[in-house]
Amino acid sequence: MSLESTIKLSRSSGFDLDVQIHIPSAGITALYGPTGSGKTTLLRCIAGLERGSKTDDIQINYSGAWWQKRNKFVPPHERGIGYVFQDAKLLPHLNVQGNLDYARKRNRSGQEADLNQIIDWLSLQQLLDKSVQQLSGGEIQQVAIARALATGPRLILMDEPLSALDQHARARILPLLSRLHEKLSIPIVYVSHTLEEITYLADKIILLDKGRVVASGSVFDLSSRADLTISQDESAGSVISCRIQKHDAQFGLSELQFDGGCLYVTQRDEPLGSTIRVRIPARDVSITLTPDKNSSILNILQARVDSIEASETARFMVRLAVGKHFLLARITRKSVQHLKLEPGQTVYAQIKSVALLSEQLVQ
Amino acid sequence: MITIANQDLAALVLTLQLALVTTIILIVMGTPLAWWLAVTRSRLRLLVEPVVALPIILPPTVVGFYLLIAFAPDAWIGSAWLKVTGSSLAFSFNALVIGSIIYSLPFYVQPLQISFENLDDGIIDAAATLGAGPLDRFFSLVVPLCRRGFVTAITLGFAHTIGEFGIVLMIGGNIPGETRVLSIALYDHVESLHYGQAHLIAGGLMIFSFVLLLLVYGSNQRIRFRLEK
Repeated sequence: MSLESTIKLSRSSGFDLDVQIHIPSAGITALYGPTGSGKTTLLRCIAGLERGSKTDDIQINYSGAWWQKRNKFVPPHERGIGYVFQDAKLLPHLNVQGNLDYARKRNRSGQEADLNQIIDWLSLQQLLDKSVQQLSGGEIQQVAIARALATGPRLILMDEPLSALDQHARARILPLLSRLHEKLSIPIVYVSHTLEEITYLADKIILLDKGRVVASGSVFDLSSRADLTISQDESAGSVISCRIQKHDAQFGLSELQFDGGCLYVTQRDEPLGSTIRVRIPARDVSITLTPDKNSSILNILQARVDSIEASETARFMVRLAVGKHFLLARITRKSVQHLKLEPGQTVYAQIKSVALLSEQLVQ
Repeated sequence: MITIANQDLAALVLTLQLALVTTIILIVMGTPLAWWLAVTRSRLRLLVEPVVALPIILPPTVVGFYLLIAFAPDAWIGSAWLKVTGSSLAFSFNALVIGSIIYSLPFYVQPLQISFENLDDGIIDAAATLGAGPLDRFFSLVVPLCRRGFVTAITLGFAHTIGEFGIVLMIGGNIPGETRVLSIALYDHVESLHYGQAHLIAGGLMIFSFVLLLLVYGSNQRIRFRLEK
């Protein structure tokens, strides 16, 4: 059920898209890039909402079947996709239930979607009788996501579904999306220009810039690379998947184990053994040459300097290898000189904060 | 005491018949035309749009004059009609219907076209991704969302057909029960100085038109209120 796509498309405005992408058969693939990088155009091509002109070459193959190739074009309503628009696009003349029924009745995949379950997943019970005009921004997107699921889709496409929402609504909906991700076995393509969202949700990232794929790979690999534009983001930081090893009620901490060491965080509700994702912001990692026993910082990991990249004039991005994982540390040029940092050197990474992604989004 | 003469009653029935038939044909033919004009990127639109709008500015007698010539039994439209139906087209009810369709077309097409153009393309895209094909999208989405446009277009098309005079005079003549519609009957009464009968028709048409427009604007207001609330 994976999707392969090669798209060469040019617009009279001068913008052109030239990409070749692979969307794996399950999990969330994020299309990430600045405004104007072609994320939405790519998504619309996959949906069939953008057909391209005669001079464009768009090839889309979904699990062996061609959706588009030369003269062949499967229209959007026959592709069996669920699409969540940035501004929801609920049908204004129908109420919430009506919007969900509209989608369910037109199911194209042949697999019946369980509407009750979808309503439950997205907590819509109280909203069903409301008219679309009565909903808040967050509720509108909840309904839009539910409606996309109600078509029983083979592929879900989401175009910045949270970008129009306030922090509070985002923090409420992100965990819903993340839960969906665990429950659905179909691919989800998620367009966003917010790094936090992507590091929280995505399994794979495709990094786009000016209509080209700059890099693609797992969220863990890409988030810990110092040479990509995402590392220049103020909130850049490597994402690590950890297992909850121990709860320490006395100090209110949980011990998280990963290949490379352990991290202490404020105590979690999840049972022992569950996997959680943490992000270590580059700006919160400092480097010492000797382990500082007299520090209030709990998380100090032995690391090896992997590479040093100049990110801005005064600051450097240092990539540290910790076991099989990598951390990013953003430090000043002065410190790099002072510590005489060089690749291969053994150092200690002091981690001032470990962001548990769900919490960080509320802040 | 002035009462409605039998022949005026016949003119009223004929007028309503004409308006009804014309409106139905306008809905069937004018709707796709309005849709095409609203969405097409074809250059043909530059030509079709003014042709549709012509009857708005042309004196109806101009349209009537050319139709009269085209409907004559020796012209190709008139002779083809005669061959197929066995009856002459000129000075018949059918001629009035054809003339009315042409004359009222812009009044039906334009409000609808504007209504279609104002539709949010994104909503149509959304329906497509939900599995709705083009016809399904039109009936399940475009029709309810453009209800105001449809109400206005149908009313204007209908009312305008009732109010038509010039074309009817040119291509219909004044045959009772066949082409003698209210506006012609009114003209007759005025010509023969029967002002009482004339008042009845003129005043009736005025009140009817006013009430119709009142209802349309009132219902549009309600629809707008419902959709925007």
